Amino acid sequence: MKCLQSAISLSLVLGMILLGMAGCSKKAIQSGGDTQSSQPGAAKGSPSFPDTSLSGRDGSGGLRGLDKNPSEERVGSGTNTLMAKADPGSAGRQMDEIRAEQSASAAAGLRDVFFAYDSFLISDEGRQALSRNAEWMKANPAAQLKVEGHCDERGTSAYNLVLGEKRAKAARNYLVELGVAANRLAVVSYGKERPFCREHAESCYAQNRRGHVVLRTSK
Amino acid sequence: MTVRTAMVSSLCLSLALAWIIESGAADVFLEATRPDFQKIPLGVAGIQNIGGSESLEAQIGLGSRIEEVLKTDVRRSLVFSLVDLPSVGIKVSNLGTGPDPVFKQAAEHGVSVIVWGKAGIKNGDKDADVTMDGYVYDAGNDEVVGGKRYVGSPSVVRLMAHRFADELVFRYTGEPGIARTKIAYVSELGSARELFVMDYDGYELRQLTADGFLNLMPRWSPDRRFLVFTAYRNRNTQDIDMIELATGKRWTLVSSLGGLNITPALSPDGNFLAFASSHEGNSELYRLDTRTKALQRLTVNVSGDLSPSWSPSGRELAFTSDRSGGPQIFLMSADGSNVRRLTFEDDYNAAPAWSPRGNWIAYVCRTPKKEYKLCLITPDGQKRVQLTSGPGVDDSPSWSPDGRHLVFSSTAEGKSQIYMINADGKDLERITFTGTHNSAPAWSPAS
Repeated sequence: MKCLQSAISLSLVLGMILLGMAGCSKKAIQSGGDTQSSQPGAAKGSPSFPDTSLSGRDGSGGLRGLDKNPSEERVGSGTNTLMAKADPGSAGRQMDEIRAEQSASAAAGLRDVFFAYDSFLISDEGRQALSRNAEWMKANPAAQLKVEGHCDERGTSAYNLVLGEKRAKAARNYLVELGVAANRLAVVSYGKERPFCREHAESCYAQNRRGHVVLRTSK
Repeated sequence: MTVRTAMVSSLCLSLALAWIIESGAADVFLEATRPDFQKIPLGVAGIQNIGGSESLEAQIGLGSRIEEVLKTDVRRSLVFSLVDLPSVGIKVSNLGTGPDPVFKQAAEHGVSVIVWGKAGIKNGDKDADVTMDGYVYDAGNDEVVGGKRYVGSPSVVRLMAHRFADELVFRYTGEPGIARTKIAYVSELGSARELFVMDYDGYELRQLTADGFLNLMPRWSPDRRFLVFTAYRNRNTQDIDMIELATGKRWTLVSSLGGLNITPALSPDGNFLAFASSHEGNSELYRLDTRTKALQRLTVNVSGDLSPSWSPSGRELAFTSDRSGGPQIFLMSADGSNVRRLTFEDDYNAAPAWSPRGNWIAYVCRTPKKEYKLCLITPDGQKRVQLTSGPGVDDSPSWSPDGRHLVFSSTAEGKSQIYMINADGKDLERITFTGTHNSAPAWSPAS
């Protein structure tokens, strides 16, 4: 077992040296199949961050084994038990900005779009709501809108983020069809993470399957 | 909770072998969670308070607190079966480290291991260090095979019990145990969702972020130092951030791409970050080389691809894709080649989590009754099991590092809370009890 572990750590070290050398050439790895290599520059805004590579682990998890005459072992000094306390930072500012957006959007009379279960198709009612929003945008040429995609609680958090984006984009695309410039329309998906209603019932789910149209008051 | 198991072990073995030969992969570990694995009968003979019944340790119930944590850990290890010694007629009190008639009696009742200990507070001062001594008798060797002596502040009493439990698992399996593992998760504060970490048993909650908006879907780095997650920058765009647990320091790994940047997952060696991004149109999978920062696109199609989960070898990824209509689970090589569909039952299967043993992929399956439950499927697609049943939406399965348990979120009791379940569908336990919403659990690697 020990021997196997040494062999594994040796090959890990060798592997890391080799990979480190490959890394010096700074080129994206090209491979076949369903894959395409993108420009390394696409990771712009990926500044340096600490190395996440796993280096040498002996498999014992820091355990020292039982001992017939155990010596005193101090518990709690390892880094795994140290945990920083969260610093209540921007929470208040976020709340103020959300309130400002909500009241400005309500004052403008912007309308939301609602969707069927599992669907991102815009209904006739949705088209009417978006037509009104489009007219308002024409009358207010400096305004910038954001369409937030929301989902009901059914389904996974992750897939609902994708579905929420499809809903937001469907609403945006219809606004563009109606003549609103695409650069005045942002989309963001909140999936099922910011529900309007919290009951486990269809009446509530229907409210949460929504393209929420918001006037942007901050960047 | 019901489990459908149709296990004919020789058939399973030959299927597993056939799959290994076919794919050339080494992601299946046959010894893991063997159906013939016999748990080791273990009895806890008490943790005594050193100072006796009038002492400070007795007043705060130190010994019994440690004993309770230890017993729960032993039971959850699934390596031992916890024997209640008094109920099998074994009366124990104040065991020492020398031979004791109780040992022979226990062995006759089929108890293989007896553990006991003592706990005290130094100087009789409630803020002073706590000590815990633990001893192990092994019936096979017919002797006290050893012990541990821990010291630490009163705040680490639970950790002492966890550490002793992990030593027991390590001695009998060579694996470090899960009693000191942690679970990262998302908890609602007002209308915001922030990252938290707790011990695997639901105690010692710690808040990690306080951004006031959405932080979603944390995943651990293999060395347990960091979490990667989706953070909403100014509420309008998503970044993939990393936070260091020990310091709270944060870095942005993926930003300014626009669109969705979700479901990050570090490879088992920590050298790659797989994630989904829609910055080139619809949600696609990418991998970022964490050393060179080179970004590689792994999927190219007009449908949504998301939720990558690494195989334990790091050679393959399971992921969700709606390229065939509703979301389904697919597999591919870690470079994006060799894509194949894994799930075919029903029209909604998502959120795959590849077991650290390699032998199962857990995921959320929508049943014909339109319920969102947990399912398990083998990577060759040959065997499928529905793990949970009943009301509520189950989501975000995540494996314990020993591959014997899963945590997940469920709205079975109304609000979303976090639950633990054995990989065989037994022992469903709720582990979060506070707050309006707890979700997206991620079980840490073993330390």
